[in-house]
Amino acid sequence: MSEVPLQVEMEQLMLRYPTGKVAVSGISLDIAKGQFVYLIGESGAGKSSLMRMLYGGVRPSSGVLKVEQTDMRSAAASRVRQLRRRIGVIFQDHKLLFSRTVFENVALPLRVQGWKRDRLVPRVQKVLEFVGLGDRLWSYPETLSGGEQQRVAIARAMSANPPMILADEPTGNLDIDTAHRVLDYLMGLNALGTTVIMATHDLQLLESYPGRVIQLHHGGLASDSHAGRRHVG
Amino acid sequence: MSADIPSGVRLRLPGGFNLPPFGMHQVLALGIVAVALWAMGLIGLGVQMVGQWVGNWQDEIRIHVYLDNSAAARSDKLQQALTGIPGVTGVQVISPDEALAWMHRWLQGTGINDATLAKRLPISFEVSFGEHAGKFLFRDIRDVAQKFGASVNQEEVSLARAHDWLQNLRSLAWFVEGVMALAMALIIANTLRITLIGRAEELHLMRLMGATEWFVRMPFLLEGVLLGLVAGVLAWAMQWPLLWGLGGWLHMLAVQPHLGVLLPVLALGGAVTGFVGAVVATMRRVSPDLVDY
Repeated sequence: MSEVPLQVEMEQLMLRYPTGKVAVSGISLDIAKGQFVYLIGESGAGKSSLMRMLYGGVRPSSGVLKVEQTDMRSAAASRVRQLRRRIGVIFQDHKLLFSRTVFENVALPLRVQGWKRDRLVPRVQKVLEFVGLGDRLWSYPETLSGGEQQRVAIARAMSANPPMILADEPTGNLDIDTAHRVLDYLMGLNALGTTVIMATHDLQLLESYPGRVIQLHHGGLASDSHAGRRHVG
Repeated sequence: MSADIPSGVRLRLPGGFNLPPFGMHQVLALGIVAVALWAMGLIGLGVQMVGQWVGNWQDEIRIHVYLDNSAAARSDKLQQALTGIPGVTGVQVISPDEALAWMHRWLQGTGINDATLAKRLPISFEVSFGEHAGKFLFRDIRDVAQKFGASVNQEEVSLARAHDWLQNLRSLAWFVEGVMALAMALIIANTLRITLIGRAEELHLMRLMGATEWFVRMPFLLEGVLLGLVAGVLAWAMQWPLLWGLGGWLHMLAVQPHLGVLLPVLALGGAVTGFVGAVVATMRRVSPDLVDY
């Protein structure tokens, strides 16, 4: 039993969409600060739905979900907004804005948090250097390769230095070498203390980059490599 | 900071009081909105000019009642009776001298002895009436004239009736203008909505990152207002070539369109509809992943 505080707490968590489909059912687990967690499972297992609940995209239907001590079932919109500012999200299709430069894309979370112009450029420069794109500040995303675009998405997710990063299939569209580089960056962030929760289909990555593995099946918890280990909040 | 930004790079920060990037979608929207506002302005000018034309014509409309010289004894009573008709604003007796002068002008160069003809002219009453002639005005004039053995100039009555119909048409034109304005406003709002929905991803991302609603929406509201405003000014400028082309014809009809009045109407109308379009386009529905909160 460790003394690491909890970042995420779930107790009999369930999500039912208005269509009646049950996406997540009866999941109970905790995620401690600083963990690197893989969410695996077949398509439709509930990985993306669980991610959506974590960043406040959809409210749980029943059970308990606490993210950074915020009860996601009852939290007010303003509280959820504050929480979103503390979570970086990376998507499989990276969702970059192609009408804006790399700088403007990466600066987006910082602008949302009210950063002034004079602090933006050095900060964006720093995070882009971290992902090896320090010289592409003023380029447009369409001039970058797929791997570079995903690295810009990582830079955007980490620019505001969030304590937690959610990555939904971030290596799904990448070749194996580029996927390894992306994992290197995520592991690097994790080493700096950031909790990383990553949904993936790529089981080979799990061998090269070990972490806690949570397997979902038909919306339920199939297995958890940390099962039985509870953390104290 | 400026030392870090290469020359030629313009920093366009997302969110808040910053306009989104200007691209092909905006150029197209500007064109569509400007043409729609131009059409509205044209209808407005048309209504304005028809009003002027009808107004000018109205000043000329009089009904003449004729009483034979042999019944001259009844002329004073006829004048009183005509004056008493509701809607009649004045009854003037045309003197023989005035009739002669008019006859002289009319028959000049024909070789006809107008003085002889003038002696045969009946006693003439010129009846004038207000803008809104009553439903029974012309019938009342005819009845009074018949009672005193006089007659009415039927062609003038027909002309006055035509004027009444034109007045009704003018009201109809205002109604059409209102309907067209509503249709144009919908076209403008929808054009802006489609333009801004193209930016749904940006709206969605900002909400995902915890941006407040005003921060997310402000750039798009500014864009909508600015787009509508510029389109309004363009629409106003596009009225000029048409008016220059029709200048001679308008002069002939003695109408003088007031284009200055149209500038604030089109610019303000464009800005308001742009704002409405932007409000609709940035509603939370465009972030379906985040509708729960």
